[in-house]
Amino acid sequence: MLSRDEWLDLARKLDWDFSYVTERDVFPEVTSGSPWLRQEEWKDWDEPFRTTYAEYVANQSAKEASVRAVREAVGQAADFQKLHPHWLSALKLHAATLPLAEFAAVVGNLRAARFGRDSAWRTMSTFGALDEIRHAQIPLVLLHDMVRHDPQFDWTHKFYHSNNWVAIAARHLFDELLLASDPIEFAIATHFVFETGFTNLQFVGLSSVAHAVGDRMFETMLKSIQTDEARHSQIGDAVLAKIVAHDPARAQYLVDKWFWRTWHLFAVVTGFSMDYLTPLASRRTSFKEFMQEWVLDQFVRTMEEHGLSRPWYWDTFVESLDAYHHMVYASAYSYRATVWFDFALPGPEERVWLAEKYPSTWPMFEPVWRRLADRWRESGPGVEWHSHGATPVGFCDLCQLVLSGGTPEQNTAVTVTRGDKKLVFCSEPCRWIYEQEPSRYEAHDDVVKRILAGEAPANLLELLRKYFGLTSATWGKDVERGGYRWLGEE
Amino acid sequence: MLVPLYTFVKGDTLGIVVLVQDGDTIAALAETIADAASMRVAPGSEMTVLAGGKRLDPRATVSSAGLTMLDRVDLVMSSERAAPASQVGMSR
Repeated sequence: MLSRDEWLDLARKLDWDFSYVTERDVFPEVTSGSPWLRQEEWKDWDEPFRTTYAEYVANQSAKEASVRAVREAVGQAADFQKLHPHWLSALKLHAATLPLAEFAAVVGNLRAARFGRDSAWRTMSTFGALDEIRHAQIPLVLLHDMVRHDPQFDWTHKFYHSNNWVAIAARHLFDELLLASDPIEFAIATHFVFETGFTNLQFVGLSSVAHAVGDRMFETMLKSIQTDEARHSQIGDAVLAKIVAHDPARAQYLVDKWFWRTWHLFAVVTGFSMDYLTPLASRRTSFKEFMQEWVLDQFVRTMEEHGLSRPWYWDTFVESLDAYHHMVYASAYSYRATVWFDFALPGPEERVWLAEKYPSTWPMFEPVWRRLADRWRESGPGVEWHSHGATPVGFCDLCQLVLSGGTPEQNTAVTVTRGDKKLVFCSEPCRWIYEQEPSRYEAHDDVVKRILAGEAPANLLELLRKYFGLTSATWGKDVERGGYRWLGEE
Repeated sequence: MLVPLYTFVKGDTLGIVVLVQDGDTIAALAETIADAASMRVAPGSEMTVLAGGKRLDPRATVSSAGLTMLDRVDLVMSSERAAPASQVGMSR
């Protein structure tokens, strides 16, 4: 019997010459991606860590057993209820935004499993699709038990089926990333930028935060998922190398585009969790420090190894590390009823911590939080609406998130007229991305344009109930209902 | 006619959309924006409205100032009294 190493290469490389159809018919450019290269050019495509199907099944089975064991030990509803309420909000944010995005990633991987240009790549994508099914199912099953105790956890499954503004933004990103991209764009955007560049932030950085707050179940889930990501993310590096060799301008464009889009997502999902929803006593490093350690250094090094440049907006990106997630969090706090999780009002000790971590920008945010604290003092606990906005907010025509680019001193939003349509972008990179492929984006209307077209109600309460899918039981509130002892002491 | 505008208050964290009548004065527009952002930014006694980097006359109307649907407008508020409101802004 042949040993593993004697037969694996033969099993990985199963491409053949077509006799009665052309290669372009089998792998059309529209579904296989650009640049279109003959199979000859792809035949040395190589994944560094090779896996057989038997190994895959054995490894996944062991990981599932491990997750089940931890679930039985510390993953029951009673265990979740012991967690700090601020951290539960971080959990709700992640639980809603990630599982069904992982499910959409199944589709992206399956497209590559059919239309990827090398058989080894297609095999890896098949494993990737199986991985992503698992990543959708684990959080859905873990958090389903919580629904009976806290209806906000229902958004774990409901989120992507709603017209909530965050769901619109997330769909806009993930539909393009996972459902609309050809295998080459998918590999560079998802496997290289998203999984190699950013998910260490989530699976290593946030996992350590989960450990610090005592959330063993979330920590175990993240680590289990991370080992899958580490395997299938290697597709990205190998595809990028090939595209750099044949069309470096396209490679640079795809990396530049997806780094910015991915940054905005993580700034909200991970930035909120690390700097605001993790209890102060459990915080070790700031979101910016995690970004510097897990994204910037590694990403820049990898870009240089591929002979690519830093994205053209690099200075803007570095500046936004000090401001963007603070801008969005303060904005969302004051419109918290528009989402499905609760928000913490940073108290004096947290603001001192944030000022130490963000010395160049925090002085611009301090007055906003003092003002919001003053509004709570005026109203007293339980009166959410006195510190809540009622006027519609603007949304970026690319990322679909609130117009929170720049700093409180200088918001970077820019309006642009295209034909008979007036567009607004939160930042120059968002505008640039839109203008590279306007046909991809122009049919999509943001929430404001839906309101103006009569598709969505303008009244905030009606908007929450009828369009965003929220109820008074599920819409976001201050996590302490304004009952902070420090409000009477500061 | 109602005119929706993207509005940004200096010191605030996001852009908000206010609906005004085209016959409303810039001074009234300033009050509307300041009220809409008031839970995050304390109102100031001096208010200056800018569009395209230029200060707008508080006595002008939305339409005579040339503002159209979904234009960007900025509001700068200050608690310090500076030049007369008729020249640079308006007092609350």
